[in-house]
Amino acid sequence: MATDRTGTPAARDLSRPHHLPNLRPGKEPPDKSWLPRQRKGTTPQMIGRYPDFDVLDSAGTWDEATSQVVMARLHLAGQFAFFAADEQATLRAFCDVTMAQDGEPRVPVAEMIDAKLATGKMDGYQYADMPDDRDTWHLVLAGLDEVAGSRYGRPGFAACDPQAREAIVGSLADAQLAGGSWEQVNVKRAWSVCMRMVLAAFYAHPWAWNEIGFGGPAYPRGYMRLGPLSTLEPFETRGATSEDPVRVAAELGE
Amino acid sequence: MIRKLLKGAVGPKDNDSRFLLDVHRRDLPGEDTMCRYDDSDEVDICIVGAGAGGSVLAQRLARAGWRVVIIEAGPFWHPDEDWVSDEAGSHDLYWTQKRIIGGADPIEMGKNNSGRGVGGSMVHYAGYCPRFHPSDFRTRTVDGVGADWPIDYEQVRPHYQNVERELPVAGQDWPWGFPHTYPFSPHPVSEAASVLWRGAIAQGIKMRVGPVGIVNGTFGNRPHCIYRGFCLQGCKVHAKASPYVTHLPDALAHQVEIRAACMAARVEIDEAGRAAGVTYIREGEHAERMQRARFVAVAGYSIETPRLLLNSTSQRFPAGLCNNEDQVGRYAMVQGATQSAGRFGAELRMYKAPPPEVSSEDFYETDPSRGFARGFSIQTVSPQPIGWAEHVLADGHWGRGLREYMRDYNHWTTVGVLNELLPHPDNRVTLAEETDPYGLPVARFDYTLGDNDKANMAYSAVVIKDLLHAAGAQDILTIQRFAHLVGGARMGTSPDNSVIDASQRAWAVPNLFVADGSVCPTQGSANPALTIMALASRLAERMISGAAMSGADR
Repeated sequence: MATDRTGTPAARDLSRPHHLPNLRPGKEPPDKSWLPRQRKGTTPQMIGRYPDFDVLDSAGTWDEATSQVVMARLHLAGQFAFFAADEQATLRAFCDVTMAQDGEPRVPVAEMIDAKLATGKMDGYQYADMPDDRDTWHLVLAGLDEVAGSRYGRPGFAACDPQAREAIVGSLADAQLAGGSWEQVNVKRAWSVCMRMVLAAFYAHPWAWNEIGFGGPAYPRGYMRLGPLSTLEPFETRGATSEDPVRVAAELGE
Repeated sequence: MIRKLLKGAVGPKDNDSRFLLDVHRRDLPGEDTMCRYDDSDEVDICIVGAGAGGSVLAQRLARAGWRVVIIEAGPFWHPDEDWVSDEAGSHDLYWTQKRIIGGADPIEMGKNNSGRGVGGSMVHYAGYCPRFHPSDFRTRTVDGVGADWPIDYEQVRPHYQNVERELPVAGQDWPWGFPHTYPFSPHPVSEAASVLWRGAIAQGIKMRVGPVGIVNGTFGNRPHCIYRGFCLQGCKVHAKASPYVTHLPDALAHQVEIRAACMAARVEIDEAGRAAGVTYIREGEHAERMQRARFVAVAGYSIETPRLLLNSTSQRFPAGLCNNEDQVGRYAMVQGATQSAGRFGAELRMYKAPPPEVSSEDFYETDPSRGFARGFSIQTVSPQPIGWAEHVLADGHWGRGLREYMRDYNHWTTVGVLNELLPHPDNRVTLAEETDPYGLPVARFDYTLGDNDKANMAYSAVVIKDLLHAAGAQDILTIQRFAHLVGGARMGTSPDNSVIDASQRAWAVPNLFVADGSVCPTQGSANPALTIMALASRLAERMISGAAMSGADR
């Protein structure tokens, strides 16, 4: 069994890939109960693999410009400038489903996307068979509401239960939506346009860095431990799980 | 032998950029005291674009006494304030103005391949600086595909050597193509890259450390790399080479003016059919200005160079400057850049150390047994969290599955390929109906893969997957993508197959040159930065001697 840097046994070394969706029946990830609760700092939904790591602890070592950009993301909740009031619930629900954010604390993905679209600083390209990214967002949100109505008889996507929302997003991911607003976009590309922004927002947030154990900005400090003896900086911590090692051993047939 | 003993001690001649940088500030020295030319003052040359090509050309010509103005669309960077150690926060480094992408295989632009601002795309390139192989200059003759260049490797070789000293390039002795050494020793290899290298060894694939344009040691006032891994977000350390640190300091010290935040609208042609200067619009203004010049060099890269030429219409050139033969914008190329990530038991934390570390050119040349012409290179890469999320999404995961893979980030390492995709006349930059905020039509880039391209990409994807298996990967995720740009205003042997001649001089306008990656007729499987710089260096040498204007090669 592995030990952490203080020499106490880790609950489990994460050397096995048993939790990865591609290696599991139906590509279903395990229930989040195998993850430890965050003990230090914040992660989305307070789960993660590095319960004692808070990237913000090292914020004092970041350069001023980087610090300003990253810290500003911590104070975004509740502000909308681009999306209309009747779009916001759908947007929030879409961002929740695509990033599996089923509770607080949430990375404010919807607000971050709104802020980007409001500045008009797009990503530098538009598919010839697609409208402007800003119009794509309006159409996708309208289309999600339409499917919620036609398929589930609900007034909007946000009013659907979690299973229905996941099913609708699954259809979007598989480009299996048609009719209404979906006729005005290439559905496959619409998924990629929207997800590009969702992912860029979520993984720009330091709470998400805590969840995945990313060491974060490193100027002027730099990184020192490149391996092979160690890939851990003094301020980084090893990954952990909250599983019972005896039960895991039994499950794996050991 | 002597060169080995002198590793890291031999600097370039005729370029003092490394000594001109300030130890305590990252700003480009000389901005405040920079020479300023009046629009009506006919300078010797007006260059459009302060990137890899334009900067090298400017620095060389200025050293020879030419009066040079560079028109640059993007900002004059102040790295201490403008650049951040953050993925999403680096958005302003990219050309984010709209471009329309079409064809059967549309190419994503922006952060993927397009820079904007003083220093150009090299501000956010990874740092790989391989040379082209001699065979790249004659693929039509050797392999029956692509095109032969009107020049050969030997004409570029001395400039490769010069530029490698100026960047400087660090790497092991290079066994592929034209074998050569590098001026700086190879960087230490991170565990994330070592894991991949072990897989390559098991597969019998030869890999070498580098070649990267990243200081290993000190180089004048440029410090050692600090291995923070943010090469693609603009190197705040100034360890990674870009024209901002390698050529523009010396250029400013030799009376070059960089006119930043100025969008070139047209190259103007006089009644005699010669370029008279460049019309541009300063950011925040509406009035057009025109810089007069004896020579004009366009160095806006493969999208903006054709766009500027096509937007420069006149009675003499109704379909765009130099486009009476319908060649402008054609043969634009990208490289296949499939990446596969493998999962390992140990925490590798691939965000440390530069993303470019170890590479292989074992598959660079044609091998008839593979069933396609030309080949690919293999390079280690290291996506940061947002890039890694795009990788996971591409494998079909979102929601809980995506979060699960993302939480596993520290256990993954990534290897990529660069496929040589062949030039095709219909892979072309044209003008879209849409206009930008200046009222200039934006570019449209149509791209469609050929059968040889698809076979190359499919083969290389299997090679890196096998490499990961051999390394012991427990799970593999793959993303198919494209990288880099070249072509679009290529050099050739006659006006009906190219835009410029072997001297990079426009066939149709005697004092107009193209000085960026768009001149390349083929691309090999090498990252293009070093070659773009070397070609600009060659062009400068020939402009100074007058050879480029002599017409001797026509």
